[in-house]
Amino acid sequence: MTTLPRDALGLGLRLPHYEYLVEHTPALGYLEIISENFLGVALPPQQRLEWVRARYPVVLHGVGLNLLGHAPLDERYLDALCRLADRVDAPFVTDHLCWTGAHGVSHHDLLPTPYVPELIELAAERAQYVQRRLGRPFGIENLSSYVALRRSTMSEWDFYAAVVRESGCWSLLDVNNVYVSSQNHGFDPREYLRSVDFSRVLQVHLAGHTQEPDGTLVDTHDHAVASAVWSLYADAWRLGGPFPTMLEWDARIPPMPEVLAELDKAREARA
Amino acid sequence: MSGKPAPAWLAELQAHFGAALRTPLDRSTGTLRATPELYDAEVLAEIVDSARAHSADRLAVYNRQYWFRLFGVLQTAYPLTVRLLGHWRFNDFAARFLRAHPPRDWDLDRAPDGFETFLVDALADEPARDALLEAAQLDSAWRAIFRAPATSPFAPSPEDAARLLDAYLEPSPASAIVVEHWPLIALKRALASTAGEAPMPLPPRSRDSRAWLLVREPLGIRQHALESRECQLLLLLQAHTVRDALGALEALCGDTERAALPAQTQRWLAQSVARGCWSGIRR
Repeated sequence: MTTLPRDALGLGLRLPHYEYLVEHTPALGYLEIISENFLGVALPPQQRLEWVRARYPVVLHGVGLNLLGHAPLDERYLDALCRLADRVDAPFVTDHLCWTGAHGVSHHDLLPTPYVPELIELAAERAQYVQRRLGRPFGIENLSSYVALRRSTMSEWDFYAAVVRESGCWSLLDVNNVYVSSQNHGFDPREYLRSVDFSRVLQVHLAGHTQEPDGTLVDTHDHAVASAVWSLYADAWRLGGPFPTMLEWDARIPPMPEVLAELDKAREARA
Repeated sequence: MSGKPAPAWLAELQAHFGAALRTPLDRSTGTLRATPELYDAEVLAEIVDSARAHSADRLAVYNRQYWFRLFGVLQTAYPLTVRLLGHWRFNDFAARFLRAHPPRDWDLDRAPDGFETFLVDALADEPARDALLEAAQLDSAWRAIFRAPATSPFAPSPEDAARLLDAYLEPSPASAIVVEHWPLIALKRALASTAGEAPMPLPPRSRDSRAWLLVREPLGIRQHALESRECQLLLLLQAHTVRDALGALEALCGDTERAALPAQTQRWLAQSVARGCWSGIRR
């Protein structure tokens, strides 16, 4: 299985990037693809993936596992995910600690659950199963959220740390998500970071966010990374670096040189 | 996996939360607006107000995301239809479709499946209904060709050639035959490089219909003009053996046309194979 250097810097691969990649093939530690975009049989994305995989290590990042849905995991989805991971020889596969659909409807969003011990057990058992099926490290990403649920009996960071620990899986720590949730729910993001077991951090995500008129921060991935998030990233690096890092820029994507310049800021933040 | 089931309260919570997410956006003010006042009391009771915002307003973030994400997916799947209707009216049809057919698959790109069928009834009172349906069918065919798996074009072996007359040809999923009464393919290509949310004027109806074979090629989707009888032959071949299709086409022709038919059908058949219309013989 391919492995990444601990300090690898990568980029979330999006459709507008292909042309630049084909023309310039910039030096990147790895590319991360959205798993669901490549689980189908359509030829054009498969051809692009072949091209990319021949030149870069590729890791898989999912948005459809539905780890905390009330229904059991979708075995058909997992079969396809395993095939894709094998095909690209992914160093690891990741998805979110959330639910995405219920009662037969897929909402295509990353939705929070209450933070309660009963769900630690459920999420950990399922994540462990996913990792076993994949036969490679499975990383669980912390969520950005806009609502806090009354049933919660513990902090998000304790819940997240417990799921990672109990499952024997890994952590995909999204620093922007930590910041967004901290501002939306009024907690100290550095307290969150101090609870992270960095020996289990498989990857760190960085992204931009948007502020709504009422002050709510929304994880839109349509801006450059905010300065407060860079500061948090620098703290995370001091606490537990090195770790592979990845920039997500999904909407209002600027020209590729600007995206690549954002990765340079990650290098600076590590210094 | 046969693990421990999720607690019953989680299913209930997710049912309420999901219903709030799918609450239709209000159009009465001329913009699409979430209506937190319509959320169930059960779901609001599950959410804690924060210092910055009321729980319902926070839930509205998810509500808006649900709809705008899906509007975007449908707009991408039906780019010509959306330009002819304009975003505002298109989103209205999309919302009605999605209320009746919420996405059920982890593949977001499947959410638009069946939208053109929905439009058949939904556009009943629309003066430009036929043109809009033709646009939706063209978008749908385009999308199906793009999403088709890798297929090898049919290259008949000597063995195939010997039994070709009594064989059914398998249409390639990376191809489609479309008949247009408005110059919509040209419009679709022209609009691909432009943006805009206002409705585009519909081009005048063509004097004669035109038939096209659309085929996916390495650099995109290519269109080949089809003669009228050629199109009829290709459509007949999708449902009949080669022998029966040729017979049916011959029956449609008058005496003069019939005399020239053998040479023409041979050319059309060879051309359809060369263009990648077929993927093989149906087993």
